[in-house]
Amino acid sequence: MSEQLESGAPTFLDDYPKEAAVVKAALWSSFIALALGAVFGVIQALHRTNILRLIDSTDYYTVLTAHGVLMVVSFTIFFLVGLFTWATVRSFDRGVESIRYTWTWYGLMVAGTLMAVVAILGGFVPQTDISADVLFTFYAPMQAHPLFYGGLTIFVIGTWLAGADWFWSWRAWKAENPDERIPLQAFMVLTTMLMWYIATIGIAIAVVVFLLPWSLGIFDQINPLLTRTLFWFWGHPVVYFWLMPAYLLWYTVLPTISGGRLFSDPLARGVFVLFLLLSTPVGIHHQYVDPGIAEGFKVIAMTNTMFLLLPSLLTAFTVVASVEHGARQRGGTGLFGWLRALPWRDPAFTGMMLAGLMFAAGGFSGMINAGMNINYLIHNTIWVPGHFHLTVGTAVALTFMAATYWLWPQLTNRRLFSRPIALAQVVIWFVGMGLMSNAMHVMGLFGVPRRTAEPQYEGFEFVTSFGSITELRLQLAIGGTLLFISTVLFVSNIALSAGAPKLSGLGKPLSEPLSGAHDSPEILDNLKLWFGIAFVLVVLAYSLPLASIISRGGVLGPGVDPVPMIIEPLGATLEPLVASLQPLLGRLAAVVGGVGA
Amino acid sequence: MSGENTVREIGHDEFDPYGTLALILIYFAILSVMWVFMYFVEFLGNDLTVLA
Ligand code: HEM
Ligand SMILES: [Cu+2]
Repeated sequence: MSEQLESGAPTFLDDYPKEAAVVKAALWSSFIALALGAVFGVIQALHRTNILRLIDSTDYYTVLTAHGVLMVVSFTIFFLVGLFTWATVRSFDRGVESIRYTWTWYGLMVAGTLMAVVAILGGFVPQTDISADVLFTFYAPMQAHPLFYGGLTIFVIGTWLAGADWFWSWRAWKAENPDERIPLQAFMVLTTMLMWYIATIGIAIAVVVFLLPWSLGIFDQINPLLTRTLFWFWGHPVVYFWLMPAYLLWYTVLPTISGGRLFSDPLARGVFVLFLLLSTPVGIHHQYVDPGIAEGFKVIAMTNTMFLLLPSLLTAFTVVASVEHGARQRGGTGLFGWLRALPWRDPAFTGMMLAGLMFAAGGFSGMINAGMNINYLIHNTIWVPGHFHLTVGTAVALTFMAATYWLWPQLTNRRLFSRPIALAQVVIWFVGMGLMSNAMHVMGLFGVPRRTAEPQYEGFEFVTSFGSITELRLQLAIGGTLLFISTVLFVSNIALSAGAPKLSGLGKPLSEPLSGAHDSPEILDNLKLWFGIAFVLVVLAYSLPLASIISRGGVLGPGVDPVPMIIEPLGATLEPLVASLQPLLGRLAAVVGGVGA
Repeated sequence: MSGENTVREIGHDEFDPYGTLALILIYFAILSVMWVFMYFVEFLGNDLTVLA
């Protein structure tokens, strides 16, 4: 293996030392969030299974908020901005336009995170009136300290400026290379950011227009269904914001690591365009049981969700085919025998493959979540955390960790402290998550609720058809503990790598796709067009539901007291359904047109 | 690009990912069986749901 490391190529650090410093800082911020998040994670896992209760149950929401926010906002998004900076600089082969500007958005993101974290941790200190026990979904009427909403706002502004940084690089690059196709990695960065700009409209309005003023006492009530709907306007596309950096790695790095080449650059571009178009007009699928939203709108959201299967399946095919290409170049043969020819000793490879495998399993539970009727079976049970610990909690998180093993030496000119520990780490994560997530899924089917410190009730037993609740609790706790250990191994391996001697020539060039960009239609690179269509789709999907929520509840809502939602009379349900068929058809036409073009 | 471990270069035209196809078909089969189980046994077979 070690000869392979010495490809002799210069590293990212050699070529772009200033940018490498930002990338490293962003990744470190991400890993610190991961480590803290894992501490809270294991506390929850042991607490709710009644194995070890370190905290008071009344503090459970403080812990759960910290876990949720640190993991899915800080860990994932700091990694994203680090990776995207690397990918943009690398694929345009030019430094950022202004390193000061780059540090500025990074600084804003750090400041925002610190504000939010202080507000959350304030929940442990009863002497202050600072708290934010609102979970990462911050549904009204639960209210957080203004510092929390302010921190989120500053963090999101930081990400907007980060996106602008990459668009700025693109413009400068295009001026010098007017006739070239956008390099694949940069293309992925830019389309992902366009999706993010659309998605964050929802959360920006929810937080800046409603929640922040409400927490400052400017309004004394807001419309909970409205802010909740605006949250999910952002809340679904954000899952693709977590996922797209992982996809970027699967499409552009994994093929090289497995010894092959990306199967098709045009297909990869098409997939990112489809995600830009389809990520946002589906958020209502998180609100299947919300009263106050007409069933018709939920049906539309479900239909759009099913369309999202297309880019996901294209990804599965393209990525696995690229890996198979690597295996066959390495001498692999047979229908399945090629799997043996793959570099399973490489922690970066194995980590990403295990992450992909877990993602496939998550695809199954996602399918159950997405069905409007069958969703009732598992809604708000611990099944749901079981599902997303497979997706964001493993497909994304484990891919990020595995990719770090590959990328870190190129950012530091130092070898990894220990590759065997790294290999053990990714396997432990896989096993730990297998246990924890399996237990969560099964318990969910028996109705065990999520977000509950003590899911044990007087006079009521959860009935299980196989295994006992006690066994499942143990499984969850063991899994959570393994995950915690795995996180510690990961972070310390990276930290200890700082002590390894400096080497040169650790750079690892990426292989060219089998079918390159010139094989794809130019229109794929027309970002204005895709942005425009995506925007129209969102307007079509959301204007009627939002109008209906506002017209019934008022902009500032029916009040924050117990929120009895009125069940709509049949006529009022059917009307929007009929009206909404038209935009649906238009949307179909646009999507089909988009794919065909 | 050919890595250290490449024993033969395989171009676009000589490569048919039939192994991938096989894996994906197996995945589909598993998905279908599990979905049928979830729908007919867990969902329709349980009471206490609002629908069905
Ligand atoms: C160190 C490993 C981890 C452990 C032990 C762990 C454990 C848990 C447990 C037990 C819950 C359920 C709590 C409840 O509903 O009562 C939970 C919720 C959650 N976890 Fe994790 N987790 C880990 C890693 C992750 C990662 C890597 C992510 C995402 C990148 C993540 C994201 C979340 C989110 C978003 C929630 C839901 C919070 C909420 O309901 O508001 N977790 N975690
Ligand atoms: Cu969603």
